[in-house]
Amino acid sequence: MRLPAMLLVLSFIPILASPAELTIELRHDGGDLVSGALVYAVPDERTSAAEAPTATMDQLNRQFVPHVLAVQTGTAVQFPNSDNVRHQVYSFSRAKRFQIPLYEGMPPEPVVLDKPGVLTLGCNIHDRMSAYIVVVDTPYFAMTEDGKATLTGLPAGSYSLHLWQPRAPAASQAQRVTLEPSEKLLVTLQTD
Amino acid sequence: MAIGLVLLQAATWVAVRVAARHSLAQTVEDELLVASRLFDQVLETRGQKLSDSARVLTADFGFREVVATHDARTIRSVLANHGRRIDAERAFLISLAGVVEVDTLGGRYTGQPFPIPELTDPDAPERGGFGVVSFAGTPYQFVVVPVMAPEPVALVGLGFPIDRDLLDEVSQLSGAELSLFRPRDVSGAVLISTLERESAGEVRRYFESLGDTSGTTFETLEIRSQRYGSLARQVPTADGSEVHLLLKRSLDAAWHPFRTLELQIFLLSSIALLGALAAAKFLAHGVSQPLERLAAAAQKIEHGDYSPGLQVFDKDELGQVSSAFDKMRVGIASREAKVIYQATHDGLTKLPNRTLFLDRLEQALRRAKRAGSTVGIIIMDLDGFKEINDTLGHERGDDLLREVAERLSHAFRDSDSVARLGGDEFAVILENCDVAGCIEATHRIKGSLEAFVTLESVSVAINGSIGIAVYPEHAQDAGTLMKRADVAMYDAKKNQTEVATYEPDRDEHSVRRLAILSALGQAIENDELELHYQPKVDIRTARAVHVEALVRWRHSELGVIFPDEFIPQAERSGKIRLLTDWVIAKAVDDCARWNNEGLDLTVAVNVSALDLRDHRLVDDIRSRLSTSGLEASKLVIEVTESAVMKDAGRAASVLEELHEQGVVIAIDDFGTGYSSLSQLRRLPVGELKIDRSFVSKLKESADDTVIVRSTIELGHGLGLKVVAEGVEEQADWNTLQTLGCDMAQGYFISRPLPAADLVEWMRTASWGRGREPSGRIA
Repeated sequence: MRLPAMLLVLSFIPILASPAELTIELRHDGGDLVSGALVYAVPDERTSAAEAPTATMDQLNRQFVPHVLAVQTGTAVQFPNSDNVRHQVYSFSRAKRFQIPLYEGMPPEPVVLDKPGVLTLGCNIHDRMSAYIVVVDTPYFAMTEDGKATLTGLPAGSYSLHLWQPRAPAASQAQRVTLEPSEKLLVTLQTD
Repeated sequence: MAIGLVLLQAATWVAVRVAARHSLAQTVEDELLVASRLFDQVLETRGQKLSDSARVLTADFGFREVVATHDARTIRSVLANHGRRIDAERAFLISLAGVVEVDTLGGRYTGQPFPIPELTDPDAPERGGFGVVSFAGTPYQFVVVPVMAPEPVALVGLGFPIDRDLLDEVSQLSGAELSLFRPRDVSGAVLISTLERESAGEVRRYFESLGDTSGTTFETLEIRSQRYGSLARQVPTADGSEVHLLLKRSLDAAWHPFRTLELQIFLLSSIALLGALAAAKFLAHGVSQPLERLAAAAQKIEHGDYSPGLQVFDKDELGQVSSAFDKMRVGIASREAKVIYQATHDGLTKLPNRTLFLDRLEQALRRAKRAGSTVGIIIMDLDGFKEINDTLGHERGDDLLREVAERLSHAFRDSDSVARLGGDEFAVILENCDVAGCIEATHRIKGSLEAFVTLESVSVAINGSIGIAVYPEHAQDAGTLMKRADVAMYDAKKNQTEVATYEPDRDEHSVRRLAILSALGQAIENDELELHYQPKVDIRTARAVHVEALVRWRHSELGVIFPDEFIPQAERSGKIRLLTDWVIAKAVDDCARWNNEGLDLTVAVNVSALDLRDHRLVDDIRSRLSTSGLEASKLVIEVTESAVMKDAGRAASVLEELHEQGVVIAIDDFGTGYSSLSQLRRLPVGELKIDRSFVSKLKESADDTVIVRSTIELGHGLGLKVVAEGVEEQADWNTLQTLGCDMAQGYFISRPLPAADLVEWMRTASWGRGREPSGRIA
């Protein structure tokens, strides 16, 4: 089945040939800039990852690092323990339920997250340790810094724009946006 | 006072009891309130503890893992398992949306909304909560805790029944009995109680009788004759079910320590009462009574009663006061006695003085009045005491008085009250004594005073004049009696009778006498006096040759006042000189006039002893004579024998001077005085007038005839003319003529006549014309 695949890829070349850029500005209702939020744009025409991406969720000083990790569906996430104590990592989330028993250093295998969704991570012996892994069906995602996040290399086309914040209720409606080739678009989103 | 104390104690006891009861009720109420709060606190603590236990439970990793499997059966078993660990009877797994996902009650609640949503907070599920709820009528403490993985993924609810242990715990801590009810409970039983079944049943019945119990109600219950304080309230529940709490404390039990206290107070107060009574008694005995005695003794002294009566027992301060008081009493009594003695006794003679005498006299009179007997008083005045004082000195005089006092005292009994009235006056009271008895007493006095008194080698004779007055004869009261005795004494002195009894007549005219005395002064000025002239007739020629001037006083109110009334008064009051001057002036003038008219008359004027003491008399007469032009020999000055003798020396010199002028001196009332012949010889007397008392009884008394004859011969012997006064009958005239008397005067011849009448009489009466040579009266 290589040919259809190739054809599929080739059909996208013109699109891929001139990538657009999308900058999102995120504000609260009151007008303040919101940082630390994940924005991602899911193209209408999904493609799977070229090769399986990898990601890392580290543990240091009784904390998961980073607190929010966004990965594309299918990413193999590694959980190195850079801390000076052992940790036990677990997730009871539907997106992936797994457990790494008490360990130090590097666990033998990464965990492949093959379903989109949100994983809430915890450490069995350290109640305060928690993190999120947001599995999304797109490679185009970024965390807002100073209220802004820029997504690059977006082929022209239509996307649904999503927002995710820890502990925030699910976004009511995803915003839709259409990008022209080489367009640099600025979108302002509001959140509660 | 005792009753007051008892009442006070009773009142105190009652007050304490009432206050205690009230306080107790209040205390029990407060305690119930505390117990109620304690119940809440215990419930809260328990809930907290259960919550903590539940949290530990749900943090268990295995538990969390199971929950994550969403395997209901496994979850149920784990719930049951873990629940048992902490004695939870009911367990639920609740979704964050509030829906029961698993329950250990046979799935009854699964899929339903959690029946106690109040225990969860959707916005903050990790908080959890706990509260009281009811399941099937039974109260539970229900706990809801989150399952953290690591974020809240679900809730677990655990129910723990509220059992008796909880109530017992509260009961033990607070001492109250607790009962939980659920009203309108179908079963009708008390839910849980610390009480026995029967009591619980009764409590419940009471509880159901309460109406609205939404608030906190305090009541006093009586169950089986025991009294309780109770508090009824609702327990706040999370599911709105009604659970009621009743707390109960026995009032009787709480009163018990008070009862002991009450008894103690009663005992103490009784002891205090007894103690107070004893103290009061002691105080009364030790202080009040002695003070009362002291006050009573002071009152006695105030009223003049100095008799002893204060007994002194104690040696302390009160005793000292008492003994000092007693000494004071004695002192006062003795001083008063001394003062009284000094006030009632004469210092010199130690006899009672006038004051005491009068007092005793009054007492004697009172006795006599009651007994109907008599009381006599004697007042004695020493004769010539003044001379003795002057001659021998006052000290001798005092010695004399003392001697007299002593002799008198010895002459009488003590009961007769010999007293010195003052000066040289003494007095005696004789009870049951009439006039005769008093006179007899005077003999005793005379006897006692008979002996000479020797005053330092000088012997003095004591003579006294005594006056007697007797009750009730002479007076009815002491004052008058004394006055009359005094009058009697004066009479005795004047008449030299030594003793005189009061004669009422003497005093009859005392009022009149005073009137006379006071009128006398005016009489001369008011021309009330008149001179009447009584002729003196020469016996041989039967012709009036002399007239005696006699004063007549006609007073407008008192009538005619005779000379023997007013002349003594004039003498006593010093008015005699005025009188005499007036008489002399008038008489001289009248006589001068008569002589000028051809009547050859000599006028005789009476002069008193007092007048004779004054040499001015001589000058007055001289000037009168020269003024009127009357010859001195036509004036006769008549003086009484006794008047001359009174102050013989001076009288003599005055008479001598008058005689030198040519005035004739006549001795009046001759024979009644105590003159001596030698004295008589020395005086320049020209006339002797025989007193009428001898003349009036001439025909009766042979003795008087002898006296008259002797007097005439005596007079003739001395070269004097003799005049007879008081010739009232022819017989007297004849006798006198026979006896050779020179002149006669009396009513036989004429009464005293006023001047005008005299002139008339001289013309018409035979006496005026004289006797015819034949000797017959014309």
